[in-house]
Amino acid sequence: MFSNLLSLRGVAAIVNIFSRQTKLQRNVPNLTNFSTTSVACVNFFNKLPAEKLWKSVTSVSNAGAKKGRGKGAGRIRIRDLNRGQVIGIGRINMLWPGLSAPVIRGRELLKQQRLPDDPERMEKLTKLRDSMTKFRRLRLSPIERGWSGTRMPGRSIGPPDPIGEDEFVGFDTKVLQLRSLLIMKGNLGRTRNYQAMVVTGNGQGLAGFGLGKGKEAVAALRKAKNKAGQKLMHFEIYNGHTVFHDFYTAFGKTKIFVQKKNEGYGLRCHRAIKEICQAIGIKDLRAKLEGSNNLQNIVKAFFIGLLQQRTHQQLAEEKKLHLVEYRAENEYFPTVVASPSKVRTKEEILKDETLDFIQYVMDDRVILRKKKFPRFYEKMPHYKIYLKKYEKYRNHEKIRLMLKTEYGEVKSFLNDRYPEEKVESEA
Amino acid sequence: MLPPASGTGKFYAKAAKSIRLIRQGCTNRPFFHISVTHRKRLNSQPVIEQLGSYDPMPNVHNEKLVALNLERIKYWLGKGAHVSPPVAELFGLAGFFPIHPRSYMNAWRNRKTTQENIAKQMEEEKAKETANL
Amino acid sequence: MTIFFRNLVQNNVKIILTRNSDSQLFTVSYRNLSILPSVYDGKEDPAPKFFSSNVQVLLRRLTRPDFAKVFRKRTNSGRDVLKTPSYKFLTDEELEAEIAKANKRADRLLQMPPIVKIHQPINEILSEDPALIGYDNVKYLFTDITFGVANAHRIIVERDPDGILRSSDHDIRKRLNQTYFPIKGRKLREPIMFTDKDRLNSLLESEKYEFVLDRACIQYEPDEPSYQKITSITYQHIDMNKNYDMLRSTRHFGPMAFYITWHQSIDNLMLELLQTSAVREAVLLTALRHEIHGDLANGEQVQALVHQILPTPIQLSKPDRLTEEDIELDNKCVECIEKYIVGNSAMKSQQELALQGFREYYQQMIELSRGLKKAHGNA
Repeated sequence: MFSNLLSLRGVAAIVNIFSRQTKLQRNVPNLTNFSTTSVACVNFFNKLPAEKLWKSVTSVSNAGAKKGRGKGAGRIRIRDLNRGQVIGIGRINMLWPGLSAPVIRGRELLKQQRLPDDPERMEKLTKLRDSMTKFRRLRLSPIERGWSGTRMPGRSIGPPDPIGEDEFVGFDTKVLQLRSLLIMKGNLGRTRNYQAMVVTGNGQGLAGFGLGKGKEAVAALRKAKNKAGQKLMHFEIYNGHTVFHDFYTAFGKTKIFVQKKNEGYGLRCHRAIKEICQAIGIKDLRAKLEGSNNLQNIVKAFFIGLLQQRTHQQLAEEKKLHLVEYRAENEYFPTVVASPSKVRTKEEILKDETLDFIQYVMDDRVILRKKKFPRFYEKMPHYKIYLKKYEKYRNHEKIRLMLKTEYGEVKSFLNDRYPEEKVESEA
Repeated sequence: MLPPASGTGKFYAKAAKSIRLIRQGCTNRPFFHISVTHRKRLNSQPVIEQLGSYDPMPNVHNEKLVALNLERIKYWLGKGAHVSPPVAELFGLAGFFPIHPRSYMNAWRNRKTTQENIAKQMEEEKAKETANL
Repeated sequence: MTIFFRNLVQNNVKIILTRNSDSQLFTVSYRNLSILPSVYDGKEDPAPKFFSSNVQVLLRRLTRPDFAKVFRKRTNSGRDVLKTPSYKFLTDEELEAEIAKANKRADRLLQMPPIVKIHQPINEILSEDPALIGYDNVKYLFTDITFGVANAHRIIVERDPDGILRSSDHDIRKRLNQTYFPIKGRKLREPIMFTDKDRLNSLLESEKYEFVLDRACIQYEPDEPSYQKITSITYQHIDMNKNYDMLRSTRHFGPMAFYITWHQSIDNLMLELLQTSAVREAVLLTALRHEIHGDLANGEQVQALVHQILPTPIQLSKPDRLTEEDIELDNKCVECIEKYIVGNSAMKSQQELALQGFREYYQQMIELSRGLKKAHGNA
């Protein structure tokens, strides 16, 4: 016990020299003036623990907090003043075998000795201590960042954790939503939970989404990711780039109208749908949202819609008619993509039956097309003046290009006919 | 923004019409439309109809290009449109009208000036020769 | 005055010289290509023979149209982005109607560029007016831009500096027509791939025949010497390298077959047909030769055979099984070709060898299909 105290004393001696504040944190009895008579060396600093002292510095009154005080750049933060300090190492550079050095080095028994002082030690310590005071925002590379800033939604969090020996090779997970939920509890008051929605997929038809909750954001994300890995679904992709047909799908108040598109169209849809498509491996698609834009509902509705797609053969069988494809690049040659086992004749088709393909697959629903209004400047007088003014320049770009291909520079045949003109203009 | 070739100008059936050259183009680059318009109307005002074009600057192949919508020109002539002298000259050269007297005059004047220039050159050469001698 | 006249005359002579030297330069520049272009400029006009219905039918059949290739994905159709495909539910009758429509479109896509004689220079003086000499020192070109007149019938005249009013020649007509009524894809200046022999050669070496021929169709009129020279060089290149398959199912195969038949050099194509065991087409080719030159000994027999062949379906691939009628027809074809090889061929040994190979292969096929028929019949 005593030896313990002694070593503590030594430490305290060293630490005391450095910082007055450290002393009050440690609350170590002053053993140098050891005596039975009481000394009135109690003051504000060593009466209270560090926590309370820090609180007195950093806390903001309730009214102040309401006004937004104690936030932002000028905010005082709690600092760890013992940062970088190691027991056994102090201003006087002593070697303490068993404390700051091993007792036996090689075959030699180490002895207490004083080493040469390090003059920059103090500076290094203060620098380390102060390095934490400034708040630094995390910088992300443009590839890593998600939909917005450093926030999680849209960011990739890697494949789900392997189950036993089965690894998720080629999978990638994207965060779709990460939000905090506040719940009132009887004894704890308002508690904070995190909820995360992620989608995982291998870009070759396998994908799944998961919802996870946790006390911490990281935990919620991990749970969601692993849940998504457990619920993989397989989707067929038409010609490796798009969906099989246009479709309508809904979940709750969210309605989605999905359109099949040509190669090279890209993904023009809600960002969550875009992430899902990328996870599945769909490259070209257009989706229009109507109604609620609740993200979880969007995800669910889109997955349901994808699952409810029918192949061309199924559609042909349903209708009992040939399904014929026309492509502009093939001069609209009618290619039969699916034929039913038995084809109906014209007489067997009901009078009010929907025969239009898009109308049929969309369940008789029509996408709302909003009227496009002219741009606000098109009615202004200056726009007319602009059009008039720039009319004579309308072909300049083309002509410059033509001249460049013909002569290698912007010049006319008149330049060759009158070379003196060019010399003059250059001069 | 360009007015259509059919013209956007106001049209009065009984007013006198004229077929004339209207300068389009820009600075240092003349280009003419052959258009029909009212005689009393300015060239800057919208025309009744465009009937052709005339590019007075020779192209790479050293040619001047004239385009004439003969069908419409005949129509307007039938309506009694007046033809301005430069247009009449072009029509004459095209073989649509008889050659305009001014074309002959110009031709004659040009020939005369070239002759005079040549004579002057000859004289100068002679003078040089005599001086050299 | 006389000096002035001399000036003028010199100018005109220069113009005439440059005009003539242009065409000469053209042929000279191709002499290095080791292919000599030959054009339809002889006494006989190829047009009546090319447009006769018998020849057209034969050429169309020789093209061997395969819809998969006729309606292939084209990148030169002026579309910069693909379009979303459209779908329809069709009954049997509607589908047939749609396929009939597609057949018509195929006819349009396979319409052959015409083969005509080279045009004669236009040299028509409309009026002479010596009093106009010296009016201007440049030419005036007058174009009638009346709406609804075909380019070929448009009035285009020129007034020369010497006061002569004449009809313009073809090159000027083409230039002015393109200036006032531009055809999409045609350039005012000749594209460099046609004027520079090295570039044309590199295109031909990389076997971009269809591109060259398509572009020539857009750039030139069929009666232009440049068009006929370029197509002639391309056809000869194809013929030398036996790349006939690249032109099959395109609109250029007919003109090429006509070209090589017209110039009496069908033996390469005949050999290729025999090697790929397309004896029926070989007979059609001899029939084409008979239609154009009429120099076959068994001409009437060939023509009779053609009437039998034409109703049979086009053989895009080798048949799996043969019916008795097929065997009979093919045997007749082989006989015909034998006679042709003996009488008219210039590559007798090679073609006979190819025909012998076909006979052996065909004998196997006959045995196989007869055996199969027996087996099925017994069962």
